[in-house]
Amino acid sequence: MVFNTGAALLDAIVLAVVSREDEGTYGYKITQDVRRVIDVSESTLYPVLRRLQKDECLEVYDRQFDGRNRRYYKVTSRGMAQLGLYKAEWKIYIQKINEIFEGGVTA
Amino acid sequence: MNRMEFMTELERLLADMPEEERQAAVQYYADYFADAGEANEADVIRELGSPEKVAESIKADYYGTEFNEADYEYKDYMEKYRQRSSDERDRSRADYGKNCGQDTSGNGAGNRAGEEEKSRPWTSNTLKLILIIAIAVVLWPVTLGIALMVFGIVVGIVCFFAVLVIAAVSILIAGGVTVVVGLVAAIAVPPAALVTVGIGILLLVLGMITTVGTVKLCTIVYPAMLRGFVNLCRRPFYGKAV
Repeated sequence: MVFNTGAALLDAIVLAVVSREDEGTYGYKITQDVRRVIDVSESTLYPVLRRLQKDECLEVYDRQFDGRNRRYYKVTSRGMAQLGLYKAEWKIYIQKINEIFEGGVTA
Repeated sequence: MNRMEFMTELERLLADMPEEERQAAVQYYADYFADAGEANEADVIRELGSPEKVAESIKADYYGTEFNEADYEYKDYMEKYRQRSSDERDRSRADYGKNCGQDTSGNGAGNRAGEEEKSRPWTSNTLKLILIIAIAVVLWPVTLGIALMVFGIVVGIVCFFAVLVIAAVSILIAGGVTVVVGLVAAIAVPPAALVTVGIGILLLVLGMITTVGTVKLCTIVYPAMLRGFVNLCRRPFYGKAV
């Protein structure tokens, strides 16, 4: 990937990935899902998840799995609002970029 | 390095963080290893890089400082020691840099910076010191003047308080002498002697009070000055840590 993923875009991708699971999802799976789309190192996501949790965009809960407690992440209503904002911003952004790239042809 | 060693080291490196933060991070990475499965353990450790890198990424976000991934370019912690096939890797990375139109020399510098991770702080501090001395030498007519002025002011302040003490002690001594003179004169001229002794006692008391006062003042002012001076000297070296 030649383009850098900024902090806001990474936040948006993580929120989107977590929001796809109604029951919530866990760190390892989030990392795998995100890495399917963008090239980030495995240590990148913990700080992002922690920050989103502190901003009350994500909530965590522990659930028994395989004889241990696994920490699950779930998007809060505030997180959904934030994700909506990111999506709207993203639409405007790619539209503008496409206009420049393709001379008015928008996807 | 296996998973246990990695987690122990990570926990140790996060020891200076608040308990809650540390536990959350440790729980996350313990989960991570467990979910990745034993078969992928080595891959995960290689991908995560060193515990130092992981700890730094956690702290950087928590304390709001900037985390520079390039400083930890060496992903495999073990490779840092073994240095196996490092040439090969450098070549492939250089090719990658070309493909992306990035500055490959910049990448190389990043790698080297990662390698010298531990010695770097020492170098930068020493460089800073040398730079300060060099500047001081080049601008010596100015710096000498400033140094002398600061020295003069410090000596002035130190002497000022010392003189206060000396003055107070002088009053004390003068009072004592006056009392003695008065007592000697008592045989010859009793009325005048009474007045003299009276003045002497007054001076004695006044001297005692001012002596105690000024000595007390000195014990407050001098240590404070010393502390201020030490802090001033330390600032260039510990500026970032504070």
